[in-house]
Amino acid sequence: MDRFAIATRSPRATADAIARINDAAYGFRAHRSTDIAVETSTTFAVVSRFHRAIGVITIVASAIFLLCIMLLKVEERRRDVAAMRLMGISARTVVRSVVLEAAAIAVLGSAVGVGVGALASALVNRHYQAVYRTPLRFSIVTGDIVLLAVALSLALGIVAGWLAARRLVRTPPLALFGR
Amino acid sequence: MSALVVVRDLVREYRMGEELVPALRGVSFDVGEGDYVAIVGPSGCGKSTLLNLLGVIDRPTAGTVSIAGERVDRLPDSRATDFRLRRIGFVFQRFYLMQALTARENIELPLAEAGMSGAPRRQRARALLDYVGLARREGHRPSQLSGGEQQRVAIARALANKPKLLLADEPTGELDARTGAEMIALFRRLNADGTTIVVVTHDEELARAAKRVIHMRDGTIVYDEPVRASGDR
Amino acid sequence: MLFTLAIASLVRHRARTLLAVLGVAVSAGMLLDMVMLSSGMRESFRSLLLSQGFQLRIAPKGTLPFDTEATIRDADSLVAMLRARPEVVKVSPVLGGQLHIPTGRGAVTSAALGIEPAVQGDYELVEGRPPAAPDELAANDALLAALGRRVGDTVTAGAGYDAQLRGLSGARTLWIVGRVRFVYFAADQRGAALPLATLRAMQGADAAGRISLAMVRLRDGTNVDSARATIERLAPRVTVISTADAIRQVDERLSYFRQLAVILGAVSLVVGFLLVTTLMTVSVNERIGEIAVMRALGVRRERIVAQIVLEAGAIMLVAAPLGLVLGLVTARYLNSILASFPGLPERIDFFLFQPSSAWTALGLLVLCGVLSGVYPSWRSASLGIATTLREDAVG
Repeated sequence: MDRFAIATRSPRATADAIARINDAAYGFRAHRSTDIAVETSTTFAVVSRFHRAIGVITIVASAIFLLCIMLLKVEERRRDVAAMRLMGISARTVVRSVVLEAAAIAVLGSAVGVGVGALASALVNRHYQAVYRTPLRFSIVTGDIVLLAVALSLALGIVAGWLAARRLVRTPPLALFGR
Repeated sequence: MSALVVVRDLVREYRMGEELVPALRGVSFDVGEGDYVAIVGPSGCGKSTLLNLLGVIDRPTAGTVSIAGERVDRLPDSRATDFRLRRIGFVFQRFYLMQALTARENIELPLAEAGMSGAPRRQRARALLDYVGLARREGHRPSQLSGGEQQRVAIARALANKPKLLLADEPTGELDARTGAEMIALFRRLNADGTTIVVVTHDEELARAAKRVIHMRDGTIVYDEPVRASGDR
Repeated sequence: MLFTLAIASLVRHRARTLLAVLGVAVSAGMLLDMVMLSSGMRESFRSLLLSQGFQLRIAPKGTLPFDTEATIRDADSLVAMLRARPEVVKVSPVLGGQLHIPTGRGAVTSAALGIEPAVQGDYELVEGRPPAAPDELAANDALLAALGRRVGDTVTAGAGYDAQLRGLSGARTLWIVGRVRFVYFAADQRGAALPLATLRAMQGADAAGRISLAMVRLRDGTNVDSARATIERLAPRVTVISTADAIRQVDERLSYFRQLAVILGAVSLVVGFLLVTTLMTVSVNERIGEIAVMRALGVRRERIVAQIVLEAGAIMLVAAPLGLVLGLVTARYLNSILASFPGLPERIDFFLFQPSSAWTALGLLVLCGVLSGVYPSWRSASLGIATTLREDAVG
């Protein structure tokens, strides 16, 4: 026998068992299963950290792209905004409508993104399960992850839309017409 | 005076959905060198369309246009572009200056396109600014100029390559009465200095300042007669 | 004049230009990182393998060096045969094992390499001298720190540990004569080098005449592949691995990172291109009237396209160096994460900056960005002048 596993009734019982086994003069060492799991999955932990870092970089990049594009799209509508302001529609209403539009785009975009992500995840799993001949799942899309992605997109979209709209309503309407 | 511009049976139709709308229904006239012609008429009579065809920025459906002995109604795009650059100066109602450039740089734009190099180009631009009375405003951007000043820069730009023909579409349309009067005086001076001018206008004062008035209605010329010394037609 | 107009247009819309530059810089940075990742591991591993000058590695049949605990028996005759070959300059036999060193707090376990100091290629001497005599040992900083010892101290170590009896097997007292840095060890991996004969003796009779690996340096100009084939033919019970083979094996095992690099690199390129295309399209659409006026003034279509393309080019040219800096900084951070892979040699980098690939990647991005301005500007410059002016006036 190389090793054996023990199931205990409680965490306290586990600690007791470890102490007693290690004291016994039989040349064995007892380890918690969780400790072994942590040590043997160091590789996965490193890959996980790496993915998280890439994820953060992607989010930062996306935020910049989104802000840039929102700015462009909102500025494209400068004459519409000018006309609305000249009609007497308040800056607040204009900003709200732009932000609403930005939010709608963000939600739609993230819905498409979730779909793409789910598909990509399925493809990744299929590919690497075949390569490494394992039933392990390499990519899991959970409800939490979807919620986070949508919430983050929405937040970014709203902030980008708000910043862009604010710039526009601060400009006098006639200036927006180019006069 | 020899004819600088010869227009014969000019027709221009526009397709609006299913309908074919005639903007010009067969217009013929000449413009002599040194002439100063005002084209007047109610909105939609075809006067701006006529000006665009003279400016080679549009193509007629039928008929011919010759400027300085050259047929311009069917020119290929690159030749038409070159013709506009060297032979025609166009002044628009809304000035259409490049907002990102200074007054002097706006005038330099067609000069650079014509191949004039840095120093002589700047010199000519300054000279033109001086001619229109804006020598001190050369470094100002359009947003820093009044409407009248912007229009004067636009006129200087139109004169950059010493065009044979100066065309102006409602040049006083965006200006107040006083500035408009200044513009009328400038046009008079230009013509006195030898520039052939065709101007489209609703402005009676501007029309009276011309030597000849062509009155249009419904895409045709109704009458074409000189302006008397008193300014009456 | 075109250049003046291009720069003036960009300066006029400062916020938009700045954001576009930032966005493209981030794309460029990510693209650079992915280019560095796609070939970094391979190149880093290659230079590591060749750092000591050995082009071939001989391992037990069907294994990779130190992949298993298998050893080559009758290795001394193999080594002698190799040394007799005219194309061989140097052969370094290595036996792998462990040292167990009791301390007050328990026992410290360390990787051990049995080597021939005169020909070894596994460590660089930092302090002291190589272990030449049978009772000498050289240790790395991690082991010395764990033991609380210095060069000049002695340790009692065993090659084995009997769990039942809680005692050392093959115990010896060894004198620490040198402090070394192991070329192929992980950053925090404890290691000791001692004479091959000493480690064999400590491991017992089973280890007699055995090695885990032999590294071979060939004469300059020798064809590595034919040398490999010849040695494999002469010694059929071993596997001979060239640097290229080793890299191929590593490539296969770490193909995931290359694939990730390709995908993320492609995404970065596409996103950067889309960003600049959107910017140029909106910018051009906003200036349709202005473009029509320029055409009316007599500016040729090609010149208008050139001006727009210049604008796109200016953005890319400012963004690319910024992206380079961002990419290098991010690569350093990401590399530090991946460097903590268990068992990875300290000197392996996942992200390696290679000027040629970096410039290719950035050049590709700049080209894409520049071309993105061509279609929208050509289209706008081809619209009917009169119609455009009228529509622009209306609205």
